[in-house]
Amino acid sequence: MNALEIRNLNKSFADFRLDNLNLLLPSGCIMGLIGENGAGKSTTIRLILDMIRKDSGTVTVLGKDNGEQIEQIKEEVGVVTDEIGIPECLTARQVGRVMKHSYRNWDEAEYARLLQKLSVPDNKPFRNLSRGMKTKLGIAVAMSHGAKLLLLDEPTNGLDPVVRDEVVEMFRDFTRDETHSIFISSHIVSDLEKLCDYVAFLHRGKLLLCEETDVLLSEYGIVHCTSEQVSALGEAAVRYKKESPYGVEVIVSRKSVPAGFKISPISIEELFVFMVKEAK
Amino acid sequence: MKGLLLKDWYMMQKYCRYYFFVCIAFTVLSIMSKGNMFFIFYPCLLCGMIPVNLLGYDERSRWTQYAGALPYTKAQLVSVKYLIGLFTQIAALTVIGIVQGIKMTVAGGFILNEFLLLMMLLLLTASISSSISLPFIFRYGVEKGRSACYVMIGTVCAGCIIATAVFKENLHNEIPLNGILPVIFLAAIGIYALSWYLSIRFAQKREVPV
Repeated sequence: MNALEIRNLNKSFADFRLDNLNLLLPSGCIMGLIGENGAGKSTTIRLILDMIRKDSGTVTVLGKDNGEQIEQIKEEVGVVTDEIGIPECLTARQVGRVMKHSYRNWDEAEYARLLQKLSVPDNKPFRNLSRGMKTKLGIAVAMSHGAKLLLLDEPTNGLDPVVRDEVVEMFRDFTRDETHSIFISSHIVSDLEKLCDYVAFLHRGKLLLCEETDVLLSEYGIVHCTSEQVSALGEAAVRYKKESPYGVEVIVSRKSVPAGFKISPISIEELFVFMVKEAK
Repeated sequence: MKGLLLKDWYMMQKYCRYYFFVCIAFTVLSIMSKGNMFFIFYPCLLCGMIPVNLLGYDERSRWTQYAGALPYTKAQLVSVKYLIGLFTQIAALTVIGIVQGIKMTVAGGFILNEFLLLMMLLLLTASISSSISLPFIFRYGVEKGRSACYVMIGTVCAGCIIATAVFKENLHNEIPLNGILPVIFLAAIGIYALSWYLSIRFAQKREVPV
């Protein structure tokens, strides 16, 4: 079963349009949705949760249509957003009590374990927690009700590198169970590169690509050469090039590069930046 | 829905404590005042503002967006505010009813019809105070909804002054109001129910803001 299936999804606002989005996340996998600010990442997550109405298309979460069975879907989905919307006066302990009466499968012991593991104080009001602590509390809530799918909207935004690393490790642990999946949006591409089985590039509401991370990394590479050498690479090999006074940086399709060129590995971030520039 | 009620209860304990003290102060003032209905009606108005106030805090903390990810329907998210309004207003009416009943008895002039009329008017005031603003808030958000709330408070305060002037002379006479009391009661319940229904409809149509 697929954890998430988005087919021909469209949504228009006055100044933005999510254009015919198609995504498929198999169970047990992590998909990263990468895009600039305003690319449509949060809109996609809000559409998945039926918080805004789609113009057309279908969204199926854990085999259920989000238009018809959204309450059941929300029982099985954990959500962490950039700004955790927990009331400022509530302590983590009170949040736990509220959630216990909100989710059918709320696991009090798991929540307590996660708070302890993440060192979140359970008696401090939410407003007095640091940014990292707030995110950790949001993650503890999202992972304490037996969720099979985590929807994470910029969860590592604003976190320091140490906390980010901890959080990324927790997400990786979550998907050790093959019925668990994660759909994560971010513009901090380095986090996603470490974590994701699939990456999708979104630019101005349009999907530029959706592919397995390993496939992308093995398919593309970077060649550093002179302007004269670029023509020798051949049109089929050159995907994008950036010229500077020091030479040319060319993103190439590895299989089409003639022998003799040294191909350096490419990062997902470099690939994304090149593709977005190309799309512009 | 129990989770939502619990969350609002925690928020009320933190943010609405001063409402409680104001209500007590006004109830005490109503004992000392002679015939000024403002002190009796104001606590009911205040209690009607509690759900509005809670919605303001919800919006500020981005709970409105977060709740969209929890397993609640929009009808439940709306209904919890009406239930909170109902509980607080019933509590206020009960306290005021007991205090005014004792005051009338001590003064030696307890007249059942007069007492019931007062209670029905309080019920109507309590009902109107949140019924007007909540649908606006669920339709347009807290800021615009608040404006509607202030207009409502002005209207009801003016109504109180007029009511005080009109009933001042009649308060010591037994008023044959048997037919009017059920009408006021039904009007109060009907207004609240209609407002509740409209708020659910508006919330269902409104997309959760970013």
